Amino acid sequence: MTHATDSAGPWALAWRRFKQDRVALVSLCITAFFLLVMFASYAGLLARNWSAEVAPSYTAPTLQKVTPLANTHEQVGLPQTFTDPPVDISDIDPLTPHYQEWQQLTAQVAKAQAAQATHLFFGADKWGRDVLAKVIKGSEVSMTVGIVAALLSVMIGAVLGALAGYFGGVIDACMEWLYNVLTSLPSILLILAVAAVFSRGFMTIILILGLTGWTGVYRLLRAEYLQHRERTYVRAAEALGASHASRMFRHILPNVSHVLLVQFSMNVVGFIKAEVILSFLGLGVPVDMVSWGTMLAETQEELVIGKWWQLLAAGGSMAILVTAISLFADAVRDALDPKLNE
Amino acid sequence: MSNSDSTPLLSIQALHIAFATANRAQVDAVKGVSFDVFPKQTLALVGESGSGKSVTATAILRLLPKTARIAPHSRIEFAGRNLLQLNAAELRAVRGKDISMVFQDPLSSLNPVFTVGEQIAESLRLHLGMSNKQALTRVVELLNAVGIPRPEARLNSYPHELSGGQQQRVMIAMAIACEPKLLIADEPTTALDVTVQKQILELLMRLREQQHMAMLFITHDLALVREIASRVVVMQQGEVREQNTTEKLFAAPQHPYTCALMACRPRLDVRPQRLPVIDDYLTATSDTNQLAAQPQRQRGTSPQDEIVLEVRNLAKQFTLKTGLFAREHITAVDNVSFRLPRGKTLGIVGESGSGKSTTALAVLRLIKANGGEVLFEGQDLLRLSESDMLAYRRRIQIVFQNPYASLNPRFTIAHLLLEPMHIHRVGKDINERMQLAASMLQRVGLPAEALHRYPHEFSGGQRQRIAIARCLTVKPEVLICDEAVSALDVSVQAQVLNLLQDLQDEFGLSYIFYLARLERGEVFF
Amino acid sequence: MNLSAFIIKRLMNMIPTLLGVMLLVFVLFNWVGGDPAYILAGKIGDPKQIANIRHQLGVDRSYWIQLWIFFKQVCTFDFGRSWSTGELVSDVLLSRVGPTLTIMVPVLILETLLATLFALWVSYVRGSLTDRVVMVICTVAMSISFLVYIIVFQWLFGYRLGWFPVQGWADGFLTNLTRYAPLPVMLAVFVSLSPSLRLYRSFVLEEMNHDYVRTARAKGISERAIMLKHVLRNAAIPILTNVGMALPGLFVGSFLLEVFFSIPGLGREVVESVNRSDFPVIKAITVYLAILTMLANLLVDVLYRWVDPRVTFK
Repeated sequence: MTHATDSAGPWALAWRRFKQDRVALVSLCITAFFLLVMFASYAGLLARNWSAEVAPSYTAPTLQKVTPLANTHEQVGLPQTFTDPPVDISDIDPLTPHYQEWQQLTAQVAKAQAAQATHLFFGADKWGRDVLAKVIKGSEVSMTVGIVAALLSVMIGAVLGALAGYFGGVIDACMEWLYNVLTSLPSILLILAVAAVFSRGFMTIILILGLTGWTGVYRLLRAEYLQHRERTYVRAAEALGASHASRMFRHILPNVSHVLLVQFSMNVVGFIKAEVILSFLGLGVPVDMVSWGTMLAETQEELVIGKWWQLLAAGGSMAILVTAISLFADAVRDALDPKLNE
Repeated sequence: MSNSDSTPLLSIQALHIAFATANRAQVDAVKGVSFDVFPKQTLALVGESGSGKSVTATAILRLLPKTARIAPHSRIEFAGRNLLQLNAAELRAVRGKDISMVFQDPLSSLNPVFTVGEQIAESLRLHLGMSNKQALTRVVELLNAVGIPRPEARLNSYPHELSGGQQQRVMIAMAIACEPKLLIADEPTTALDVTVQKQILELLMRLREQQHMAMLFITHDLALVREIASRVVVMQQGEVREQNTTEKLFAAPQHPYTCALMACRPRLDVRPQRLPVIDDYLTATSDTNQLAAQPQRQRGTSPQDEIVLEVRNLAKQFTLKTGLFAREHITAVDNVSFRLPRGKTLGIVGESGSGKSTTALAVLRLIKANGGEVLFEGQDLLRLSESDMLAYRRRIQIVFQNPYASLNPRFTIAHLLLEPMHIHRVGKDINERMQLAASMLQRVGLPAEALHRYPHEFSGGQRQRIAIARCLTVKPEVLICDEAVSALDVSVQAQVLNLLQDLQDEFGLSYIFYLARLERGEVFF
Repeated sequence: MNLSAFIIKRLMNMIPTLLGVMLLVFVLFNWVGGDPAYILAGKIGDPKQIANIRHQLGVDRSYWIQLWIFFKQVCTFDFGRSWSTGELVSDVLLSRVGPTLTIMVPVLILETLLATLFALWVSYVRGSLTDRVVMVICTVAMSISFLVYIIVFQWLFGYRLGWFPVQGWADGFLTNLTRYAPLPVMLAVFVSLSPSLRLYRSFVLEEMNHDYVRTARAKGISERAIMLKHVLRNAAIPILTNVGMALPGLFVGSFLLEVFFSIPGLGREVVESVNRSDFPVIKAITVYLAILTMLANLLVDVLYRWVDPRVTFK
């Protein structure tokens, strides 16, 4: 009997294979790290005050303490540095009667907190905001958009693909027609159209990407279902009396879930990158939010004047995360390969 | 056989091959094999799957995958040189010219995008330096020699346009093109139809004489060996069990494994209560003489038998679209009728392409039949609605040919066995069903712990037993076995057939047995 | 079935798709697009002026009549004049296609050749350090946004090193090809090389696992000849299919490239006409693109038969 001492399903076996690939483990850790940062940002533990002005415009990255900005709401008054008693010129000063009034008024204006930037690892942007804080906060939007839109596109594509591949016939023909119509149009047109329907916002981007990005998953899953439909184990299930729904989702789906997983991670990567383009086109998140896309959109004008840190921060973080997810997806695909199972 | 030179043409000495697996472990495939092949003689390498015979043969021309590790002390001597020590250029000069190889599956072994003529000519140009014109003429001669009709036209055919037998002939033509001294044939007939197998064997024997070449013939079938080889090497689990001349081996086999192989070959004239199995010979717990002397089983049916299943005029056509509106109809099953008496076994024999699997699938409505009736206790199954058919699905079950494909790889054994019980509402609750599943597993000879395992952890024979257990959970009355043992090793076939026989005795099952070769099944009916 | 029957059947299948595309564009524009009359009138026109413009443009008629007119336009390929510039739509399209193709065709050719060569080389040394390093470089290269590449390339090669103009387009074909096209072409090839290399590498590796490679070795053929003759010929099938699928994209081009480099191409035209709500241009572009896509798919399927002898038409 050729069995292992402890029984292992296909997923457990895949995990064992996966563990041996060091590159895969590193990329898993990096991805997990980014996710952790994202959740911390959501919870407000990090980068809560990302939009605060903390340094002069375009401060270069520095590890030293940054001098705080002069507080513009300081009390209007005489400079503190004079040691001599002030010369009294109130009898010739035309503004003398107003000083007291003004002092009272300014005392009523609330003073803003002087936010102290201790270190600026990535410098400051045009508005004096801490780029590192922006990157962390921006990860919320970019990663959430990537993950949720990918989830949406995979679900749509999977359901439609399964129906088309499994049942064939009229259903397949209708799906094919829909697929052909949608892929004949340039994607940019569809994106602009969907964007025009919904107002600008976070959910809009997710909808745009999810509703236009399902076609790849559809094709793949349709091919898989067409193939598996003819396989012996499905025939055997039919002979035992299993219903269509049971065959589609309880029998075939677990056997194609590895395809879905890989497609999901590829879509996450693709959508994170697409969000950048959308932000550049002005279809991204509104101005009170920040994403890696909005940051990169700002960098075009910055680079010309020699300010490179925002490009490095946003472009670099995105590149690291996307590389990690891609390598992770590759490793997952290799580990789950059914050919290696048999 | 002529007595040629006493120096061997090919000498394998202490061949030791291991494969590196994914988790850094090593699996020994060949453990210290030695034998010699003499000029102009044929040596047969015989063994079941997993015996290491194919690995040994593939190692000669060093065609093993990169994960294979050959021990440094192993030697493969050919014409005075150790093949394992040659550099790449020297090895290429030997391959295809001094030693050639023919593989098991001709369709996948031929390049699909080049014509047959081009693939054969490639060898000629490479090793013999022929020009295009010379090569083409020679290719026509070769195709003629291997028995392909109208070779000038066939030159420009692609592999997929030829039948299986013709493809194998092309492979053989490619192999003998440069007149090698040794031809290695790795199970060349296993993937072919029965009738074609014989033709290819005759072709090989004829060519052997014409070309004066030695042959290393690998097979799992002892019957073939007797016809074609002058020496036999029997392998099991990577080791040589016995080697001798053919006559001496068949007359007086020395090793128990050889005896077992020979005894387990099915015969048409006897029908024992139980088929002998390899283990009987190896463990020596049972008296082998007694096995040979057991009483025969009763055959045949009588007119009083109750008919449980009757098929009348079954017909099935497949349609292909050949033009914009034209369709071509291919008749797969035409007017087939048969009857199955209760408690008996009906055998249906036919070559591949004869439509027998199609009838099995049509009877169970896994394919839609175009005509005819399938009467189960008088009720026509083809006219029932889907929901009514469900009740009958419990009573008539099927075991498929390929045990590696018929069990869902993502299900545990428990899940596989529970599913039909769940669908047909056998058993009160899950605990009772689990108990039923466990007892069914034990009935087919597997432990109850197997419930928590996955199909890939079991061998082919065990998987087929699980498939049988799955059918039995709903207590069917008719079991269709679609070439259920064809994909298994000889000894394992006997085990499964014995099991089926016991189950028939115990539960009064009626069987329809589909098979391609007569000898295997006739023992059973 | 034979070739002509296959082509006729496919051409007939195109019609429902084309109708679907027309319907989709029509619905999208009328539901989603801004009111063109409002835009043309400069957003401050009085109601009478706007009604006048609407009448001129023909959008005051019922939807069914507009749809019917659209249908006729598709059949005659005459979409009238652009609502914002007054040019003939066909002129607009023809003038835009040239620049797009001047960029995209060299990109496709260079990228396919380079990706195939690299894929063969990397598969030849499969498993070695070179293989792994190249694949990691590819993965990293793929993870950088296209936008970043454009910004960096423009800055580096155009601004800093001054080898190429940062952006722009001329009238002469040769000038364009040698002066304005190289930077965007180089950029596009660089970016699309990585995913293509990964994909083609998987095709080649898949072929190398097949039995016929073992047979070729058994015949004594050298590893190099096996790669370049046996494997390449088989791997060419999925590679060419992949190239075929990219053909429709040739005509749209990359709107990002065209916007950043100020190339008056079709991609940029799509974005601009949507922003201007210039319906005739949008209609024409989408219909032409849809037809081109379907024809390109048909061409690929027909060529597939020529490249893969196992295929028959169904």
